[in-house]
Amino acid sequence: MPRYFEDLEVGDGFESPGRTLTEADVVSYAAISGDQDALDFTAGDAGLPPVVPDLLIMVLSSGLGFRAPAETPQVLAFMVFDLHMRLPVRVGDTIRCRIRVAGKRPMKEGGVIVERREMVNQRDEVVQEAEYKLLVARRPRE
Amino acid sequence: MSEPNRQYFEDIQVGDEYLSPGRTITEADIVAFAGLSGDYNVLHTDAEYMKTSIFGERIAHGLLGLSISSGLGSRAIVRPFATIAFLGLRWRFKGPIKIGDTIKVRMRVSDKKETSKPDRGIVTLQRSVLNQRGEVVQEGDTELMIERRK
Repeated sequence: MPRYFEDLEVGDGFESPGRTLTEADVVSYAAISGDQDALDFTAGDAGLPPVVPDLLIMVLSSGLGFRAPAETPQVLAFMVFDLHMRLPVRVGDTIRCRIRVAGKRPMKEGGVIVERREMVNQRDEVVQEAEYKLLVARRPRE
Repeated sequence: MSEPNRQYFEDIQVGDEYLSPGRTITEADIVAFAGLSGDYNVLHTDAEYMKTSIFGERIAHGLLGLSISSGLGSRAIVRPFATIAFLGLRWRFKGPIKIGDTIKVRMRVSDKKETSKPDRGIVTLQRSVLNQRGEVVQEGDTELMIERRK
């Protein structure tokens, strides 16, 4: 059973498992997005592993958000997000996602849930911060 | 050293506009994106469930639309920006992208500002993702840090 709008409370949250970023992730991302700029693995800082595209971090955090210890919300749609890049992420880094419900507002078709998300690396440094507004389903009538 | 085929902060003007080629979103794109992201939400992966939803069928991940629009954007800007960093993004999802839809990206430079460092500036790019009917399905602003000419 997914969680519905009524089941979510401000302050609810969890931290996802980690995911290690690989060259294969970057290549797959470039293939799907068509963004070929990511494929120049020599472009970054000498002696350091290549930097992973910022949007790929966001993409992977969207999947990590479903790896919760409890049932995840029945999301009907993404509405808005605000994303801020803080630090570069490199191939070989392991990111986790910390998610917290920061607000909720009922609507006709469901309700809006505001989530704060922090993506952190293996040194516990925040690499990206985001605020998501999600449209979440109401519990269906019996 | 400045490279002739790149656009530096001085070369970019408020009001500059770009329109990308189109790209048709296929079922394969959605399946591949679910595999990469790990987002297997029923919205994108369960055709039977989605028949009963307000959309009537599976829809593309919002972030798939954003990722593809980033690829289309780099194809639209023939002389790439001398980008140092992608600073942030505010993005709105206004309508679904369905299998078979063809999207394009329209971009406009909406703001330029100098920073305390003389070797760089910040450019705001307004981006709209349009479908084959000309409807805006996603839109937002990206802030880029761009090198100045040396």
